Amino acid sequence: MAEVSLKHVYKVYPNGTKAVNDFNMEIADKEFIVFVGPSGCGKSTTLRMIAGLEDISAGELKIGELIVNDMEPKDRDIAMVFQNYALYPHMTVYENIAFGLRLRKLPKDEIHKRVVEAAEILGITEYLNKKPKEMSGGQRQRVALGRAIVREPKVMLLDEPLSNLDAKLRTQMRAEISKLHTKLQTTFIYVTHDQVEAMTMGTRIVVMRDGFVQQIDTPKNLYNYPENKFVASFIGTPQMNFFEGTLLKNGEEVIIKLDGSDVQITVPFSMLYKVNHSYLDGKTKIYVGLRAEDVSIAQENEKGGNAVIKVAVSHKEELGNETLIYGDINLNGDSGNPSPTKIILKDSSGREITAGDVIDVALKLDKVHLFDKETERSVLPRIPGYNYLDCEVKDGKLKFFGAELVMPEAAKCADGKYELLIPTDAITFDGNIKAAVASLENINGVKLLALTLGGKRLYAVNQEYAGGDAVNIGVDFKKITLTSDGITMHSPMPDINGINCKFAKRKSFETEEVNGKTKRRKKVCFGYDIEGNFFEVSDAVAQKIFAALGIKKAFTSSLKLEFVVSGFTVGESGIEATVEEMLDYGKEKFIKCKIGADSVYVKTDKDYDGVIRLLPDFEKAWVVDTEKDIKII
Amino acid sequence: MKRYRSKKVSERISLTLIYTVLIIISLIWLIPFLMLIILSFRGETAGMSADYLFPKEWSFNSYVRLFTETKFLTWYGNTMLVSIVVTVFQTIIVLMTSYALSRLRFKMRKPLMNLMLILGMFPGFLSMTAVYFVLREIGLTQNLLGLILVYSASSAMQYYICKGFFDTIPKSLDEAARIDGASRHTVFLKIILPLAKPIIIYTILTAFIAPWGEYMFSSFIMQNNPDKYTVAVGMQSWLNNATLMSDGYFSIFCAAAVIVSIPITALFIWLQRYYVEGITGGSVKG
Repeated sequence: MAEVSLKHVYKVYPNGTKAVNDFNMEIADKEFIVFVGPSGCGKSTTLRMIAGLEDISAGELKIGELIVNDMEPKDRDIAMVFQNYALYPHMTVYENIAFGLRLRKLPKDEIHKRVVEAAEILGITEYLNKKPKEMSGGQRQRVALGRAIVREPKVMLLDEPLSNLDAKLRTQMRAEISKLHTKLQTTFIYVTHDQVEAMTMGTRIVVMRDGFVQQIDTPKNLYNYPENKFVASFIGTPQMNFFEGTLLKNGEEVIIKLDGSDVQITVPFSMLYKVNHSYLDGKTKIYVGLRAEDVSIAQENEKGGNAVIKVAVSHKEELGNETLIYGDINLNGDSGNPSPTKIILKDSSGREITAGDVIDVALKLDKVHLFDKETERSVLPRIPGYNYLDCEVKDGKLKFFGAELVMPEAAKCADGKYELLIPTDAITFDGNIKAAVASLENINGVKLLALTLGGKRLYAVNQEYAGGDAVNIGVDFKKITLTSDGITMHSPMPDINGINCKFAKRKSFETEEVNGKTKRRKKVCFGYDIEGNFFEVSDAVAQKIFAALGIKKAFTSSLKLEFVVSGFTVGESGIEATVEEMLDYGKEKFIKCKIGADSVYVKTDKDYDGVIRLLPDFEKAWVVDTEKDIKII
Repeated sequence: MKRYRSKKVSERISLTLIYTVLIIISLIWLIPFLMLIILSFRGETAGMSADYLFPKEWSFNSYVRLFTETKFLTWYGNTMLVSIVVTVFQTIIVLMTSYALSRLRFKMRKPLMNLMLILGMFPGFLSMTAVYFVLREIGLTQNLLGLILVYSASSAMQYYICKGFFDTIPKSLDEAARIDGASRHTVFLKIILPLAKPIIIYTILTAFIAPWGEYMFSSFIMQNNPDKYTVAVGMQSWLNNATLMSDGYFSIFCAAAVIVSIPITALFIWLQRYYVEGITGGSVKG
């Protein structure tokens, strides 16, 4: 019965291994969260950090309203179920379940009531007087669950609880744990390496790999909209088919070419509106992903169609209700080895197919997934990052899609044709360009609007949009990029100002009157040293830095303070900075200045020149350890 | 055609061989002890002579003299007191040290363990004179408390087998208990100790046996105060006295030896099954 919040949580072992990297998540009350990933991905470590069995190297962990980083596990009001059950072998089942309650000094009859109640829910009433060793694995796991639920904890943590059970029992316990969750109305956090468990049980799933969160989403969204190739391949059986290939935009059509075969598929451009346009050049390598169920044996009427390709069957697996057919899109290829041209498809028609056959296969291209070959990130994101368009600048005006905008001083460029990059969040809704709303998608609480302007498509995100067919839009010029023949003419202003600093201590003396005598007392305070300026920090902040870096290394590590743009104000005192340029974006004005070697942008309403002094607001900053790349605060 | 002996026959032959050897070895082991018992029943005062084994006259005389004429009962009491107190101290210290070294992770844990192992390799009497001077400075020579201190002081070094046993208890039990609301202290008392019964018994046994028969430190510390002697020191003092020996003290010595062996034998028989379990449980799995 509590929310759990993880902010920039890291786990770094003394030898420098990072088990968990920058874990951020808000878990709502009563959610069933599943951490899933291959072994060693940091999922158990994260759970153990929530439980308090593992120290948190950096970051903030909240259960309910409380920050619990340094709290003992017993005070966190959580319960945990372990993979090996961890029942106390010398106690009976009853004592095992009652142990936690007895330690909490509950009255005897209350303990009895709760134990019996839990035993009834789990169907272990008849075993209450037995010792764990007399019970089977499934029964033991029930006892472990019972021990957790009698405590009525705020959060239930389950660490691969079903991994030691056989397949049939696992399915049964899976259903029971789901039922238990509905019944108890408590936040559950469940760790597993089994994607089936994750998909069937979780309200939201966290996919992890090598200590990094890959994606956090509902099971359905993970399946339909994987954010990268790893998630796409991890979720779903059989694994998604991946082919290497390229995309080439040809007018209002896009040609998908698959490597290793002569397959060319043409799809309308409208299907791939959201694709980052730099991938449409026919050269950039991508992965084309299609799930086995989105590939089927072509019906008679589909044959010869656009999305039908030929596949040489290598072997098949009969599953009873359906057949998995393994083949190769390279008709001459040997698909025995894991080759980039291998394909798996599901067929439930029951048609007789033998190895060596060449069959026609239809692809459901509206379900296609595209990933960058290098970064493996999706190039067909649900919320596109940018709008890509061609524009023209003339007489200080920006022209695109038939619209005209007056460019502010800071963004002015010479007349000519440019490529324009407008981030989806840079489209403002207070301008004077009229655009029609084509569709509205609500994606994890973000409203994505598809707009049509002059017959072309523009994407924008806006939370305030309430409805209506048309909106008035404008462009936030400080976020756009203008390029011409690969040369950037205007680059966006960074969101974050980073300055290097050191953590330092300073001794000061306090005078104090004790019994009529003045005494000088030495006081040590800690703070950031930015270009020779000392800014004291609170003890809590200093403690966090010490905890993350160690006492000695805290003073020698090079740190970076990262401020949001509004993190600085111009003042009488503070850090010395040299003004480089004034940026006038019409409604807003910024000073671009330098502190040491670092560029800093400061919002202002006056013009400045020469040397100014900046007052940092540490509330709007966080500290990064540049050596280990860890956010400390 | 070669004939094979039946498996049963060959098994029987090898078993007979093995048992014969074992019986001979155990007889060799038992002979001194049997001699001791038989000699303690001599009725005649034959001096320190073992020319013949069976007494010419069977009698309990030696036992009666042992308890009436000598200070044996005082020594026996002293030894019992020292052994019991040391057993209590040593068991507690060993268990706590082992728990700490098995479960807590602190700086210098490994070096500390190595240091203790190496220190344990040196014979204890190397430090005897130094220990004696320290005891003299704090006024604890010729004093049972001093002896107890000396015996208990190095208890922690005996942690090895016990820690090995603790290591075999899964850590997730500790973790489950800590989440259930137990402090480290409660985990130790309520989870680890009940599971460590065999090793506790083992620790008690070894802790009791060592001071019970120890001679060197106690003779050095007690010097010439017969009221504070332990049995080992006291009995040795008889052996050094030729006049006493000719006065039938040889049989009395044997009687004393029999009495001394009683508590250990009793303790061992009582705790035997745990003892065996304790040694294997700690060493094989650890």
